[in-house]
Amino acid sequence: MTISTKNPASETDSGAEAARLTPRTVLVGVPASPGFALGKVFPIINREVSVVEETIPESRVAAEEQLFLKAVSKTANEIAKIKEISESRTGLQDSLIFSTHLMILKDPGLVNGILDQIKKEHKNACWAVHVVLGGYIERFEKIDSPAMRDKATDLRDLYNRLISAMENSGPVVEELAVGEGVVLVAHEFVPSFLMSLKPGQVSALAMDTGGRTSHVAILARSLQIPAVSGLRNIAALVKPDDTILVDGSGGMVIVNPNDDDVRKFHERQEVFERQRRELFTMRRLEPMTRDGKYITLHANIELPSEAEKVTDFGATGIGLYRSEFLFFRKDVPSQEEQEYAYRQILETMDSCPVTIRTLDAGGDKLVSGISVVNEANPFMGWRSIRVCLDREDVFCTQLRAMLLANTKGNLRILLPMISGLNELRRAKAFINKCRDQLVSEGHEIGKVKVGIMIEVPAAVMLVDLLAKEVDFFSIGTNDLIQFTLAVDRTNELITEMFQPHHPAVLSMIYQTVMAAHRQGIPVAVCGEMSSDPLSVLLLVGLGVDELSMTPWSVMATKKIIRSINFEDVRETALTVLQMDDAESVNAFLTKKYAQTISDLGISSLLGNVGEKQN
Amino acid sequence: MIVKSLTVTNKLGVHARPAGMIVDITAPAQSDVSIIFEGSKANAKSILNVMMLAIPMGSEVKFEVDGADEEEVVQKLEQLFHDNFNEEPC
Repeated sequence: MTISTKNPASETDSGAEAARLTPRTVLVGVPASPGFALGKVFPIINREVSVVEETIPESRVAAEEQLFLKAVSKTANEIAKIKEISESRTGLQDSLIFSTHLMILKDPGLVNGILDQIKKEHKNACWAVHVVLGGYIERFEKIDSPAMRDKATDLRDLYNRLISAMENSGPVVEELAVGEGVVLVAHEFVPSFLMSLKPGQVSALAMDTGGRTSHVAILARSLQIPAVSGLRNIAALVKPDDTILVDGSGGMVIVNPNDDDVRKFHERQEVFERQRRELFTMRRLEPMTRDGKYITLHANIELPSEAEKVTDFGATGIGLYRSEFLFFRKDVPSQEEQEYAYRQILETMDSCPVTIRTLDAGGDKLVSGISVVNEANPFMGWRSIRVCLDREDVFCTQLRAMLLANTKGNLRILLPMISGLNELRRAKAFINKCRDQLVSEGHEIGKVKVGIMIEVPAAVMLVDLLAKEVDFFSIGTNDLIQFTLAVDRTNELITEMFQPHHPAVLSMIYQTVMAAHRQGIPVAVCGEMSSDPLSVLLLVGLGVDELSMTPWSVMATKKIIRSINFEDVRETALTVLQMDDAESVNAFLTKKYAQTISDLGISSLLGNVGEKQN
Repeated sequence: MIVKSLTVTNKLGVHARPAGMIVDITAPAQSDVSIIFEGSKANAKSILNVMMLAIPMGSEVKFEVDGADEEEVVQKLEQLFHDNFNEEPC
């Protein structure tokens, strides 16, 4: 028995067929990666794989077993190599895809299933892989979850690689010579294929399968290649000489477009490119309102390596480095490990300020070796600064590491969950103690600023007193909203009640700003509110001095700030403070500013904002 | 044998990465580990089996751990679920 797996596109790939062009066809799919491209179709024909079923004699069993195991290690090597390239090109997050691939290759169900086919059923290795892995692919395709169904593509990638390895022929991609700037069209793309493309070779991707969450879509966005997925039958429809127009922002392609299509396409492409260029040129412009109020824009980071990219996005500092990400591992990191990580950030940013928040463990972020697991109310439990004040060893190790890493004098230490003066004074005493110790050990210690998170309503009630004893405030909007409104944001029954624009929340922010400014210290907002366009207007109007957000939101936020008048948003903020409820505030803001914001032409970047992790 | 029920509280459910993190714990363990979700029982050392359960956010899953290091395995799994697989919670 012979099974052929091939791409539908290959059936239309004969010379005679190619001469006749496909009539103009509009296909609507899923916008997988934004951007526009117009180019010649280059169909990717998945290499035809023939799998023959054989029943083998006992004498060949060992050889077939070896053939399979060698194919596994060859495939694992290939993937490890692609993983390495992927890490250097798109960063660690996207290369996690390939860690999953490597783990699947070690899956006991898969490997033993295939070995059983060979040893017990006396089947040849190729057939064993076809039956067992093919069975998994079929089952994944039937799963009632789009994200999991997308995994079938990854399995097919492995299938092709294993079979190719056993036939001792190279992977598909090595056989391809791709021209400059063509549009690749395929039934589906496999992630490893995408990673092997060289920059500039390809102007866009169009595929039959896949959704927004597929690995291919994620990779295409990282590589900034426009892509439309879920086009159902594009691969079967197009021929090699067809022209294709790809609108990755809208999720549409037109095969052999007419003049009118091309004219409209160019208009949209121009707008898109202009928006992107404009935002990019804005990187170096000041984030200043039209009437001259300067708003500091900083970036939030989770990994020390992200610090390098921050200034490219136009941020002038780091507003929040969540140090607990260093602690999400088997044991508490040593002072040296922490110092290395902090130094990487502080030295990369040079003279720009870097705010490092001390360990904020607990609540929903449990840290091995420190947190306790069973608390009835973890968000109001033994967490954050409370843990640090009780665990002097952990806290002082972290403080010493921070102080030692601060060779440039740009460190700002941020203390989370402060609810009163006693906690603040105890924490500051620890900082002073560590500094004195280090000085007496002969270290030179740079300038340090110490600030607190305003996220517990009690801190707002005491805000005038707190302002006298710190260098800055940073408002953590998520917890402040949660505690002010008494709404557990992990409880689905009351998600509607988690309202950032609730007048009570806005009033908390306003009181904090007023108290800070009376003492001449700045107020930052580092929560999710600082990347929502309407919230940005409101926060600026309330008098917030600094906004810190995910790096890619900085440029769009800068554009918003440069388009507004401080006096106007100030009046708006004071007006909405008097309103009855969040609905009225939102209705007012939308009526007054929605048009202005949509006119800014930052839609492509707002898409990113909407995707932020919650 | 220890039977432990845990709730999936990260936003995306047990997708590929959390499945990998579960297998990171179960695969090297001496104990046999099964995962049970909505009546389907699977070998928790197999990433494919764990992914195929397509466990969404908010679900309760049961682990059956049997062997010399069962307590350690259960403790690690518990920690992993409480940490929301190091992802943001729902």
